[in-house]
Amino acid sequence: MTNAAPGLSLVILALALMAAAMMVRRARLWRIGRPASVDWLAGLMALPKRYLVDVHHVVGRDPYAARMHALAAGGLLGGSVLALLALVPPLGGLRLVWAIVALAFAVAFIGGTMVGRRRLPVRPARLSGGRFQRLPFLLAAYSGGALLVALDATLGGILGPLAWAGLALAAAGGLGLVLQIDRGPMRHAFAGAAHLVAHPRPSRFEGQRATALLPLDLDSPRLGVATPADFAFNRLIGFDACIQCGRCEVACPAFAAGQPLNPKRLIQDLAASLQPGATNAAYAGSPYPHAREVAGVGGPERPIVGAGAMIHPDTLWSCTTCRACVEECPMMIEHVDAIVELRRFQTLELGATPPKAAAPLVEMRYADEPGGRPLKARTDFAAGLTLPLISATGKAEVLLWLGEGAYELRYGRTLRALVTLLQKAGVDFAVLGEEERDCGDLARRLGDEATFQRLTRENVATLARYAFGRILTADPHALHVLRNEYRPFGGDYEVVHHTAFLDELVAAGRLPVATLRDVSATYHDPCYLGRYNGETDAPRRLLDRLGLQRLEMERSGKRSMCCGGGGGAPVSDIEGDHRIPDLRMNQAAATGAAIVAVACPQCSAMLEGVTGERPAVHDIAELVLMAVETAASRQAEAVA
Amino acid sequence: MRIAVLLSAGRHRVSAHPAPVPVELQAIRLAAELGGEAFGLHAGPAIGPLHDTLGHGLPRLTHLRLAENDDPAPSLADALREGAFDLVLAGRSGQGGEDAGLLPYALARTLGLPIVADAVALAEGPQPGTLRVEQALPRGARRRLVIRLPALVTVHPAAPAPLPFAFAAARRGDVETRPGIAAACAPSEMEERPYRPRPKLIAKAAGGASAAERLKAATESASGGGKLLVEPTPDNAARAILAHLREIGVLA
Repeated sequence: MTNAAPGLSLVILALALMAAAMMVRRARLWRIGRPASVDWLAGLMALPKRYLVDVHHVVGRDPYAARMHALAAGGLLGGSVLALLALVPPLGGLRLVWAIVALAFAVAFIGGTMVGRRRLPVRPARLSGGRFQRLPFLLAAYSGGALLVALDATLGGILGPLAWAGLALAAAGGLGLVLQIDRGPMRHAFAGAAHLVAHPRPSRFEGQRATALLPLDLDSPRLGVATPADFAFNRLIGFDACIQCGRCEVACPAFAAGQPLNPKRLIQDLAASLQPGATNAAYAGSPYPHAREVAGVGGPERPIVGAGAMIHPDTLWSCTTCRACVEECPMMIEHVDAIVELRRFQTLELGATPPKAAAPLVEMRYADEPGGRPLKARTDFAAGLTLPLISATGKAEVLLWLGEGAYELRYGRTLRALVTLLQKAGVDFAVLGEEERDCGDLARRLGDEATFQRLTRENVATLARYAFGRILTADPHALHVLRNEYRPFGGDYEVVHHTAFLDELVAAGRLPVATLRDVSATYHDPCYLGRYNGETDAPRRLLDRLGLQRLEMERSGKRSMCCGGGGGAPVSDIEGDHRIPDLRMNQAAATGAAIVAVACPQCSAMLEGVTGERPAVHDIAELVLMAVETAASRQAEAVA
Repeated sequence: MRIAVLLSAGRHRVSAHPAPVPVELQAIRLAAELGGEAFGLHAGPAIGPLHDTLGHGLPRLTHLRLAENDDPAPSLADALREGAFDLVLAGRSGQGGEDAGLLPYALARTLGLPIVADAVALAEGPQPGTLRVEQALPRGARRRLVIRLPALVTVHPAAPAPLPFAFAAARRGDVETRPGIAAACAPSEMEERPYRPRPKLIAKAAGGASAAERLKAATESASGGGKLLVEPTPDNAARAILAHLREIGVLA
């Protein structure tokens, strides 16, 4: 038995104490944040499940990364804890204990090698360099050195001086890792655990989508977030949890289009600005595309957004609020919440909305409609159809919410198809007519919470006057707002999307459909239906009932790519290299499908705006009507 | 520089909900960008949505309370005289309500101020106490004037768009309410009718002409035509007008 083994235990003890001190130092910074109600006990109890199930569900989408992380983290933690336990007298003398320690560090070493293999010789663009690029060497040094020491103790000291060299290597590597707790990659380990415990949306871990924005108290002294100290403390923990894996940047449509947004960089800028006298100099990942010039300085009480601060306003306004970054984030960070909170300050306090976005907000304030069009004209699309008004009878089984798309000529065709289908199926439905105000989605995503809350209260009051079973809408944005965001204002409705409703009708035999043979279609999931509300099956089921050949794009379902139409991005209109809908249309065209099936007025408008040779764009309602009419004409032929 | 911005109780052009008048919000922006102290001034029964002007870059607002149907001109003239403003900005014409666009002229006459219409940009003049005004003329033409302050300037809709609304700024803004001067409106013989867009005069669109000819006539008339007389004698001007009226068939 050489003396290197107890030395290793002592080194690890010293490192653990140092690590604890570093963590406490970082955690103290979180206290600048605003208080938030957190159920610590429930969070702690749920931590193992949140980590092992929810986090690994996301991590596992990249199997290499999942194995790499399991080996490196598991081996490192297991080996270190066991080596610490060896300080207890009887255990330290047992060769078996050291054999297990050796095994654990061997596992960690393999994990560390995998970290290196992923980054060397060529680092993928989505991964960060700098401190992150040193990580595999530190991991290898710590676990490799500790492996030598443990092996030596297992084999009875036959390695001699090699064990001492191993101890030195482990100490150096371990020190490097501990020093990374403050700002480097190792911060994610403890901040991530704290984030999972104190997560601002705990119901995400209970199988709920939990995607509704939280209401803002319009009487609070400062509206929205200007400085890091304005964020709730558990949001600050979330920023620190980022491991810069870059999955968000790969998923972000604005990043792909060359607009100045990179969700990873955004979170890093927010995390960096916690520190007094902060700068963004340490960041070594991909930049914001066409980054606008900023000073790159910050601090707990200093503004975050502005040319003289950390983040340029154009970065905020590039976001389509599609939540692709949130969906991909293995650390469960809430990027979109942060962006909306920052936007709220820009809009409500500074009046710094992008110039083109200011006009729809004004129209919503005085005309209840972002285009400033007469509310009465909302039903103009239905000229020639009978569109029952709910004010005539006071009740209906289904209330049809038309949404903003009704004013648009192209989308009017979709709504006409839907209304025709409802009539053919004999559904008892009605519309609000000129009593329908805008649902407020656009105002809320642009940060104008005041207008959103006013519209919400007025819509809730209107809806309270009528008796209806369900609200049916073809607009996923209205669906999301009515279903999830009106609740705090007293609006609790059962809201159904037209794809789900038509699926019910076809399944129940109320709409006889023919098979549309020789038609191939690919379905583009609207973010606010798929990712926000988890509804990805009903539209596909419905398309399958129509018997057409359904092709899937590479990105589909909850991991679908945005059309570029959400979050007020079309009105903010931040310049990039490409248009997001062009990128999405290319993905659709790559499937070889003749039709892109859509289910949202925004997607319909954005994708119809793509020029050149491309698949046709049809709303699912139009395809269903096509199938119903085909069925009717075939039947007529059969009779003749 | 002390700048007063006159605000009227407008209505939204489509919804007819009470709303600030866009061109007056543009006046607020011109005042804010010119620098100096800006004051909003409204004479009428209630402030209503004019409170929102405080969110568009106006720091403070004085409301002169009047009874329904009172004439705002004496109250405004009194407040303007008392405030000793260097510059008074008003909209070119309001929207709905009682604002015919004559009020700025009436005030200028009462106060003995020069009035310049249709400003789209303001800047400090070459000498202290002067103002450089860019004036909008028909068909996109612009004229730059230098005027001596104090003066009254009306703002044209082609001025830069209003500053975006900031809810918190409106919440913070200062409203002072004081009684105005009761003054009955002069009885008016005017008849009020809802606005009806007038069809464009289509020059020489003779009946029976082909569609292409009618289109040509319509587009030609929309793109102007006519004759520009620079500083004509009244005699020549009258002759030109008469000739035009005869040409389009209004006069025999």
